[in-house]
Amino acid sequence: MSDSASGSADKSVQVKLVLLGEAAVGKSSVVLRFVSNEFQANKEPTIGAAFLTQKCRLEDRILRYEIWDTAGQERFHSLAPMYYRNAQAAVVVYDVTKASSLEKAKSWVKELQRQANPNIVIALAGNKIDLVQPSASSSSSTSSPESEDEADDATATPDEAPPTGTEPESLRQVPREEAQAYATEAGLLFFETSAKTGEGVVEIFTEIAKKIPIEHILAATRGNGARSASGNPRAEGSQQSNVNLNEDPNKSKDACNC
Amino acid sequence: MSTISTALRHFKEPTKDQLTHIYFSIPLSGSGAINETNNGQEIEKMDISAVLSLGEAEDSYAGKLHIIPPYLAFSSVDKKSVKFTVPLSTIRRVERLNARAGVYALSLLTWHGMKIIVQLTSLRPTADLFCSLLRDALKVELQRGQMKQVKTFVKTCYSEVLVSDSSSAPENEREDGSLEEKEGGSQDIQYHGGLGLKFKFPGDPKKLREASKIKLWTSYLRTHGRNLTLLRYPQCTRLVQVGLPNRLRGEMWETLSGSIYLRFANPGYYDRLLEENLGRTSTSTEDIEKDLHRSLPEYAGYQSPDGINALRRVLRAYSFMNPELGYCQAMNILAAAILIYMSEEQAFWLLEVLCSRLLPGYYSPSMHGTLLDQRVFESLVQRYLPIIHEHFQLVDVQLSVASLPWFLSLYINTILKINGEQLLQIQDDGGFLNLMRDYFASLGDSAHPDSSDPRARSITIFQELLLVSFREFSIITDDIIHSERKRFRGEITHSIEAFAKRGAVRNLRSLGRFTKEQVGVIYDALYGAMCIVPPPPVAAPPPTLFTTGEGQEDKPETRIGLRTFRHFLSEIATWARDDKIVMNGFQQRVDREVAEHEFIDRLFYFWDVGCHGALSFQDLVSGLDGVMFNDLMENIEWFFNLHDKNKDGFLTKDEVLTLSESFLFIFRYEIGDAYLGAVSRFMTNAFEYGDALLPQPESKDGEAPSSPLPIGTNQPYLNLATFRMVVLADEVLESFFETDLSESFKLEHHPELDIPPSQSGLLGDLWSSIATDSNKKIFNMFTDELGKTIGKHQVVHKPSIGRYTKLEEPKARESLLTPTLRKSLSKASLSGTSAASSTVAASSSTSTLSVNTTLEPPKPVSQVPDSASLSALPLLKAVNAAALMERTPFAIDDVKDDEDEDEDEDEFDKDNDDRVLDEVDAFLEAHDSGLTDADKQVANDLLHAEPLK
Repeated sequence: MSDSASGSADKSVQVKLVLLGEAAVGKSSVVLRFVSNEFQANKEPTIGAAFLTQKCRLEDRILRYEIWDTAGQERFHSLAPMYYRNAQAAVVVYDVTKASSLEKAKSWVKELQRQANPNIVIALAGNKIDLVQPSASSSSSTSSPESEDEADDATATPDEAPPTGTEPESLRQVPREEAQAYATEAGLLFFETSAKTGEGVVEIFTEIAKKIPIEHILAATRGNGARSASGNPRAEGSQQSNVNLNEDPNKSKDACNC
Repeated sequence: MSTISTALRHFKEPTKDQLTHIYFSIPLSGSGAINETNNGQEIEKMDISAVLSLGEAEDSYAGKLHIIPPYLAFSSVDKKSVKFTVPLSTIRRVERLNARAGVYALSLLTWHGMKIIVQLTSLRPTADLFCSLLRDALKVELQRGQMKQVKTFVKTCYSEVLVSDSSSAPENEREDGSLEEKEGGSQDIQYHGGLGLKFKFPGDPKKLREASKIKLWTSYLRTHGRNLTLLRYPQCTRLVQVGLPNRLRGEMWETLSGSIYLRFANPGYYDRLLEENLGRTSTSTEDIEKDLHRSLPEYAGYQSPDGINALRRVLRAYSFMNPELGYCQAMNILAAAILIYMSEEQAFWLLEVLCSRLLPGYYSPSMHGTLLDQRVFESLVQRYLPIIHEHFQLVDVQLSVASLPWFLSLYINTILKINGEQLLQIQDDGGFLNLMRDYFASLGDSAHPDSSDPRARSITIFQELLLVSFREFSIITDDIIHSERKRFRGEITHSIEAFAKRGAVRNLRSLGRFTKEQVGVIYDALYGAMCIVPPPPVAAPPPTLFTTGEGQEDKPETRIGLRTFRHFLSEIATWARDDKIVMNGFQQRVDREVAEHEFIDRLFYFWDVGCHGALSFQDLVSGLDGVMFNDLMENIEWFFNLHDKNKDGFLTKDEVLTLSESFLFIFRYEIGDAYLGAVSRFMTNAFEYGDALLPQPESKDGEAPSSPLPIGTNQPYLNLATFRMVVLADEVLESFFETDLSESFKLEHHPELDIPPSQSGLLGDLWSSIATDSNKKIFNMFTDELGKTIGKHQVVHKPSIGRYTKLEEPKARESLLTPTLRKSLSKASLSGTSAASSTVAASSSTSTLSVNTTLEPPKPVSQVPDSASLSALPLLKAVNAAALMERTPFAIDDVKDDEDEDEDEDEFDKDNDDRVLDEVDAFLEAHDSGLTDADKQVANDLLHAEPLK
């Protein structure tokens, strides 16, 4: 069985990715868009977590994303460590029409930086920008029956004084600049996305693919294969210490900053 | 930023009485708002051996008849064949039967004329007593007017329609049981039903054989009672396995779960609850709104306002009735599914039964129930499917990543067995989930698509699943699950608490100068205090002020009141507790009491920087940070500020007095008169200097410390510089401020906070039942009394500081020292403390009792047991010493006994397994007698019918 595992590892790299964020910000929808290029207006809330896979080509390599899509409600929080353990990448999603969702996203980032794999690649994604885009894009969008969805979202976020920025939309509560600034400060990749129109979704995953230390993962998976076959933990242990030496100083700085 | 809950800590195993209630699905009387009708008049409960007979068709069953007012319940000896729970108000007549001599039999006639015969097989006086109790209970029901309510209530039940007009269903009924829209529409339906009546029920009615099922059930309900009066005979279980007709489904759920009794006992409660909370919002209602359109969205009913509104009302109502639980994702899916078959009110009560009794703790904020059952599930897999378990271990797959959603949305779990072979090929979590998803998608497919027999082909995988679950896993009984739950509860509680602790520590805005471990100790002390004195419920801000856009302020934060604070502080500060060292010849122990003093209250308000009248975890950390790292000068200033109420930089005369009282409080248990002398010198000096520095000397009589001072001089009197000077003039006070004050706050792990791992062995149970707090108290009292009689009883107060014991003459001193030197000194002593605490931890883990470990080097009283070895060990040693138990150390005994027990259990299990399997087979084969041949045929066919998808 170790044969088959290492064989597949040579061709494609497996990347464990976890999605985190407040309830109803569109985590599952982002994944659904990425994995099967679909959009469902009223998706059932995720209970516990869902699991999907998608391959992604990066130059000569093929990455196989194993995506853990977690439940957003606060009380599922205690289960999250189960899903982000050993994750190499994380996408933390917030809703651009809901300021509190960014706060929650920040706390997720903080938790990941402290508790998760030390060299995890984190991306911050502000979803639902279709709701705040100027009328040009909404008129061009073909999905008129989903206007019901917009109304739905509007009720979920109580009326709030529109930010007096230059942007034409009234629903936006998180200015792009603010989130961008935070992401830069915390060392995160940053995107604004729309699972509904597909905008920015694939970009998240390709950018993550570029940033991920693929060689490390390859080494680690080989180490794992050896471990499960012979029960020898040494390979993994040495790998771990390498990683720590390289990455720790940066990470600990990040953790202190916020 | 965080709430801290001690709810898990207070879990109690249900009492025997409660277990009986649970067994009979009778609402527990303690459940707050729900049981408002049960006022005062407590009628005794009683059970009696009895033989139940019902007409000709059914066998007689021996069992126990219970009166649990206002219900009458029966269960057969084997606990599963026959069982009923009937509200007394449905019984119209009770007659003593005129039978042969020696037979004591009662005939109970229900309101619809069903006659139940019970033969009381106990002794005559017992039977008489039972009858008189029954009579009293019936009278009470009559007085309460419950008898009249029955008629109106049963009109809401579909079974009555089914039974009453034999000319079958109304004309507008479709084949699947839903109703055709009629032109007139005036025909008012009185019985409760779900959205399915309007939006159709899922599934193909032909395949589901609705008509035959209705027929079977109707004949059963005619003879065996229905809704409130349903009697459960083996045939009932069989019919349930065959499947429920859509229209009856909701009502049978309600009846079999017992939620019907809640609905019956609380008429109008649901509507009132909604009315009273109209327009209210909370975190739960917001979460509900998010999910309303995301609950079974494919079902037609949830694409229309009807369904959405019904769902909203039910979930809202539940969150109002049980605000602690509120709303958890997955409840929406559950409620949506239920609402297809039930009315809102029915669904509401079923939800209550599900959340509080059938799935305890599943949806609570900590989800401890789910986590617990995950653990139980894993252990059951380990025990019964060891090959799969080993494989999962090898490839490091966590079963719970997949099984968690099953449990929350109530899937069935037999899948592992059927898919055993494929499972063994899985390498990681992901593959595991994919396999499971494929399997769920295929539930409706044929299990044997290649079979030549058409009947075999029509058996779906779902039916196969059911069959496997009933046949092969019936050995896993409720009892096993209960005992497993018991076994793992401690572990789960511990891990949830550890997680909450990590979260709380992480969410602190500032750790101050503490390390994470030290903050953890502060958290433990806080948590311990909260277990003793729970804080007031977290007050959510009033709904009108609730704006989600603000983000930060949304989440309520746990804050503790003054009483909890006292307990908290007593864990941390040596002077905030009264440690009495009791020696009585048998044992030496420390009785700890929480001190009460104005000084502590003052500290509470001093740390309450936000003026909430309560302290958060952050406040406590910041507050301790403000004192524990201080050097001499900072400490003096801190102490000064603490007593300077109006923060003007001056103490008034009164404040100088309270400050002196604070000194006296802190030094109250110091041995000798050194500290007393210091305080009295302080007062003399303070008033001397204070008076000297007054702009115009107004009173002369305040000079002598012993003479009473003029009261109520509110003018500024003593400033910080003077205070500092006065303090530094005294060696004792100087050393107090230099190190002792900071050191009197000790962050050391308190052993009582650990939950002892719950041992399943006999000895473990025995020990845990002995070592309750109250028993310890009794034991302590007992030994105290003994000690007193032999004249060895002795109580010594442990001093809080304990540096000086003798009164020393004041020496002339230089008034100021270089602060930097002081600082380095105090830092060193701080690290010294932490080192000391680590040795304490180490010593407490060894099994020998270490009495001689002293904490602070200059301790006046020798032989003081340190606080770490406080809890069980001294007791144990005392027990040994008193020769009550002449045995070698306890721990070894324990382990050995456990092993024995395990082996026994295993053997027993094997025997038991075989026996139970036989029983199950017998059960599945036998019990056909209740059906006519034609019906039997139908039932047989139905066994192979399509399932409800």
